[in-house]
Amino acid sequence: MTVRVNTRQERATRPLVASVRDLRVYFQAKAGVVHAVDGVSFEIRDGETLGLVGETGCGKSVTARSFIRLVPSPPGIYAGGQIDFWSAEARQSGGPPIDLLEIPDREMLSIRGDRIAMIFQDPGKALNPALSIRGQIAEVFYEHRSEEILEFLGPDMPPIIRRAARQRTNNLEKILLELPPLRRKAARLKQRVDELVADALTETQIPNPRKIMNSYPHELSGGMKQRVLIAQALACNPDLLIADEPTTSLDVTIQAKILELIAELQARLQTSVLYISHDLSLVKEICDRVAVMYAGRIVETGTTEEIFSGPKHPYTRGLMAAVPSATHRRGKLAAIEGTVPELVDPPPSCRFSTRCRFAVDLCRTADPRLITVGEEHTVACFAYEEDYGDVVLPSLERWIS
Amino acid sequence: MTSSSAQLEAQQREPSNRAVISLRGVEKYFPIKEGTLQRVVGHVRAVDGVSLEVRPGETMGLVGESGCGKTTLGRCISGLVAPSGGKVYFRLSDEDAARLDVIDAIPEAEHTVEQRKYVERIDANHRIDGLSGKAWRIYRRNCQVVFQDSFSSLNPRQLVKDIVGRPLQVHNEASGQELTERVVSLLESVGLGRQHLYRFPHQFSGGQRQRISIARALALDPEFIVLDEPTSALDVSVQAQILNLLHELQRERGLTYLFISHDLGVVRLMSDRIAVMYLGKVAEYGTATEVFGDARHPYTEALLAANPDISSEKSEMKGLQGTVPDPANPPEGCRFHTRCPVATPACGWEVDDAVAWLQTHETLLDALADVQRRSNFDATLVFDDESSAAAVGDAFRNGDVPPAMKAALERMSIEDRKVHISLVPVDPVELEDIGGGHLTACILHTTQQLRRPPDQLKADSTRRPEANASNASTTNSNAF
Repeated sequence: MTVRVNTRQERATRPLVASVRDLRVYFQAKAGVVHAVDGVSFEIRDGETLGLVGETGCGKSVTARSFIRLVPSPPGIYAGGQIDFWSAEARQSGGPPIDLLEIPDREMLSIRGDRIAMIFQDPGKALNPALSIRGQIAEVFYEHRSEEILEFLGPDMPPIIRRAARQRTNNLEKILLELPPLRRKAARLKQRVDELVADALTETQIPNPRKIMNSYPHELSGGMKQRVLIAQALACNPDLLIADEPTTSLDVTIQAKILELIAELQARLQTSVLYISHDLSLVKEICDRVAVMYAGRIVETGTTEEIFSGPKHPYTRGLMAAVPSATHRRGKLAAIEGTVPELVDPPPSCRFSTRCRFAVDLCRTADPRLITVGEEHTVACFAYEEDYGDVVLPSLERWIS
Repeated sequence: MTSSSAQLEAQQREPSNRAVISLRGVEKYFPIKEGTLQRVVGHVRAVDGVSLEVRPGETMGLVGESGCGKTTLGRCISGLVAPSGGKVYFRLSDEDAARLDVIDAIPEAEHTVEQRKYVERIDANHRIDGLSGKAWRIYRRNCQVVFQDSFSSLNPRQLVKDIVGRPLQVHNEASGQELTERVVSLLESVGLGRQHLYRFPHQFSGGQRQRISIARALALDPEFIVLDEPTSALDVSVQAQILNLLHELQRERGLTYLFISHDLGVVRLMSDRIAVMYLGKVAEYGTATEVFGDARHPYTEALLAANPDISSEKSEMKGLQGTVPDPANPPEGCRFHTRCPVATPACGWEVDDAVAWLQTHETLLDALADVQRRSNFDATLVFDDESSAAAVGDAFRNGDVPPAMKAALERMSIEDRKVHISLVPVDPVELEDIGGGHLTACILHTTQQLRRPPDQLKADSTRRPEANASNASTTNSNAF
């Protein structure tokens, strides 16, 4: 179903859309500073789907939200690193990237929802219950496409309509727009926006979009609501789509339909996708590359084939063995003992060392770096570092054999 | 526990040929109320006629999408809600079950006095909503529940000691120091310890809270536990811990589980037998290998196709069109036919399906003024203008309506702004054994299709004179 970027060569030649380097996002809590995201680096290339996998609280959502600066601050602290983003124009002209953490809020507003869009986990909470579907999607067009709409309407539009198209009217002007002679022109504006909204909904294969436009979120099923959110996110044809567990609250049969839809739209619109999920089996189905996160750090990255056919990091291995499948015997699931460590002012160490069966003293006192072990495969474990490998590797090797 | 009830308990617990739980046509309807007087205008059929048996020591898996009634069924079994129809029996022997089968086959009015007395006696001893004081206490001890959300099922103001010790206090099992020791040994059996006694639920992680729930359920040494999505709020690594624990406990204590989940992988791993539910009814029932390896219902197949599996090499997940129909007004025939990829004309196409199809066509639905229905299979659609009526007629004859629905259309006539449609009437599909205790409710896999094969539909329909009469009366008719 996915049009995958299959060959390595092809992928390598594709321009970057985003590059995250040493991102650190902390939270100020009573007990101390929580290192929710602690030095995360990865790249997203044009047209690919990158899966960000990890368990609850590993920092995957915070990483994603940092792209459009949705982490509330305070208590959030952007403590370091940068997120470089190349819009379509920059990619074509070879221009410099924008650092999403540095740009002023005003510029962020024009990027958020236009160049970078997000689909949230719970469509019931992400939609405003007091606004009709039309209103919610129209907002995107008013915010980001007002110039195009005005151009379509022709040059003879009075300033008040221009202000209406930018949603800058005050209450008096709103009343004036309801009265002749402006009423007809305002109706044309509304009609044009309605057309755009209907087109956006049609894209997501919603039957009878004109009817859905007039309904409110509570009247729609979960799958329909998620389709509306997708329509909203893809309305402006973004360069990067961030999907934060878009199907977690849906049933499997609906989930498959939604994923099919995202993949189809992605192939058509050539959008890059950052797909966040805790579900390994899902990520395996839909992503080109995978980054595995644990306790605020990336522990392993690689192509989907590399990660799933030859996982290297003990955590990745443990996670895969814990998913119930047809081959497991009852009571023989390989659980990872223990729980995720507290991330309050953590000392330098491999974050997984508290649960890792092969941890040696070194793992508890030093930070492992991401080391290249395959063409695109990197892993953060001392077992694969040349200098330390003979300390850690033997126990790991024994376990594998 | 009093000594006499201890004897009764011991006597009942003998694993002679009996089921732990037997469901016979269990129904749970929730009323829909409207208006200032809160008049009942309809019922949501959450569970609509489910008959199952849970045998001692086995795990019965109940799987289905949200809203299919699996949690409500679990609540009916655990006695948390009273079923509005049908019976739930506890520890019913096979002998009694067989006799009840015979009696149930006879209409109630024709029961002999002896039969009636027999049913009364069985109901008083085994039917959970009719149990008397002592028997009821035994049932309460032996049927425990572990809920999905450990945040809302553990009292945030109580200490772990009180939460886990509560069942022991209620049943006068232990007090004082003995109670504490019993709680400690329970906590140890689920992988917690003495150090956790005096803590509140919020001080634990999700997996630990679920362990506390399990310890509480184990407190009275029950025979049967309803596990209502016990791991759906947990991460996979923790889920694996809990699933291993549950299996360990089952092996040590000979527990019987009803395992409710929407996760096919988890259900397959944990269950001996599986019932797949759709819209309040069981669609397929069989052993785990039968249901997963040899699915005989399109809904089961669809679930399996949509489920991503980490170990398989398949690269495609297939979804289902449409949404789950309204359980207040479930579809006729097979309830799955509205979304079924292999639906036949005999699967129960009805007037609502025709109207639902119109909903995908904006202009046609807007033009629909009224639906005058004579039955669920026979109605007149009134449109605002003649052209819409003609367009609908055309669509039904050679347009893009589902082919199965087109074939199920027995008769259609267009008269001015009215379209009369009449579809093949069918009976509800029943579960049927297709060999070795593997049951399915799909006419493609059972002998039920022999009753109404597609090529005999026309002949079948002539037995409905009222449908013909209404059709014959239309003048200027445009027969289909």
